[in-house]
This record gives sequence, C-alpha cells and structure tokens, in this order.
Amino acid sequence: MLITSRLTNFNLSNQYTNIMTNQKADMFMMTNGKFFPSHQLGHIREKLLKIDENNWGSIQMLQFKDPTTALILSLLVGSLGVDRFYLGHTGLGVGKLLTCGGMGIWQIVDWFLIMGACREKNLETLQRVLY
Amino acid sequence: MHTTQKKTYIILTIICLLGYSWLGYNLVITTKPESSAKTVCVIKHTTGIPCPSCGSTRSVISLINGDFSKALYINPLGFLIAVIMILLPFWIITDLVNKKNTLFKFYKKIEIILQKKIIAIPLILIIIINWIWNIIKEL
Repeated sequence: MLITSRLTNFNLSNQYTNIMTNQKADMFMMTNGKFFPSHQLGHIREKLLKIDENNWGSIQMLQFKDPTTALILSLLVGSLGVDRFYLGHTGLGVGKLLTCGGMGIWQIVDWFLIMGACREKNLETLQRVLY
Repeated sequence: MHTTQKKTYIILTIICLLGYSWLGYNLVITTKPESSAKTVCVIKHTTGIPCPSCGSTRSVISLINGDFSKALYINPLGFLIAVIMILLPFWIITDLVNKKNTLFKFYKKIEIILQKKIIAIPLILIIIINWIWNIIKEL
C-alpha cells in the first residue's frame, strides 16, 4: 500500500516536471522563435525538452541578436560593415569597411543574407549551451 | 566548423581576386590621359560625402608609384590594404600547399582580439577621425 502510494506520488511529480518543462520549452519557443532559422525550430524544441533542469537558468540568460536590427543596420550603414560587426563577424566587418562595402556589391548581397546569418549566429549561441 | 573554415578561405580568395582586378583596372585607367577613375562608393553616390575608406585605391596606386607621402595624405588605410593584399595570396597558397589552416587560426585570433573593448573603441575612434579628415579633404 505504502509502496504503491509512493510510486504514484513519484509518477505524479514526474508528470508535473514533464508538464513544467513542456511549458518552459513552449514559452521559450514563443518568445525566442523569431531569433532562429524556421527549419530548426522543431529540432530546438525537442532538444529543450531533453535538457537538464539546471541548464534552464543559463539558457534563459542568453542574449540573442535581433534579425530586424541586423537588417536595419545593413540597410543604413552596411557599407561600413556595421551589420557584420553587430553579428560578431569582425573579420568580415573589417573587410566590408576597408572595401567600401565590397564596392557596393557585397553590401547589397548582405541586405538579403544578413537576417539568415543572424539566425544562424543565434543558433550557434544556443548550441554552445545545449551540447 | 569545417564549413566555416572553407567559407572563410573562399571569401578571402574572392576578395583578393576582386581587389587585384579592381587595382589592375584602375592602374590601366590612370595611365591613360584625360580619363579619371570612377568611384563605386555607395555612400559617396547617395550623400556626396566620402566614406572612411574612400581614396584607398588612389592611395594604393600612389604606393605602387613609390609616392609614400601622397599615399599617406590621400588615405592612411591604403597602407593597411596594401599589406593585406601582399600577404593574403601568399598565405592562402602556402596554406593550400601545406594543407594547414594557419590563416584561418590567425583570422579567428584577430577576430577575438578586435572584439575586446579596449582595442575596439580606439580603433573605431581612429576610423572616425580618418573619416572626418576624408570629409575635410573632400576626396
């Protein structure tokens, strides 16, 4: 009798933590979904469900770069390489700065690439904690 | 990790090739009389003021002609570009031949160094001062 009650208790608490992690993962996906490449979202959620409870703190502390900000920077000061500096691609930023935005070509190419590059960068940041 | 390394080498090679062809085109243009080199700078075309690296082509060309003080006057960044353009092809080729990634490691190290605030802020200030000087000189 005692054993079964303990077992059910354990099961209940287990279920409770499951629901909690589910909620946390969903919450994270809702608030941060826009920061990641859309084809990776399902994969990220699965990974989040598996992680240790202790890791949640460090994941919620992570700072992600906003793709919209990157695009605005790219449109306004792209030829100075500021968009690349914002993403932490310092080498590419210096390259863009020294070549007048790659003679204007690279700058225009980056208008279309920068949001994807930003999402990839965020995924990299998250993966550093997840794995 | 491996793909970023490959990408870095491809981008650096493309930059190098484009840089040399642009330089060659400008060298041919400047030797002909009564023809001025065209600018492709987006900032200069849209706003009319020069960007921080405007004039670097002219600076490198005066370096090739041996006129160091003129190069320094037009744009000091020309020296940096000249050093990079001389070093880069040799470094890429030696890395390719030896199948090593010394250039990539160096590139990553430089990136980390440049991201430190103590180094980044003075460099940004230098670039801004150079920009103001460019605007005053009306390049």
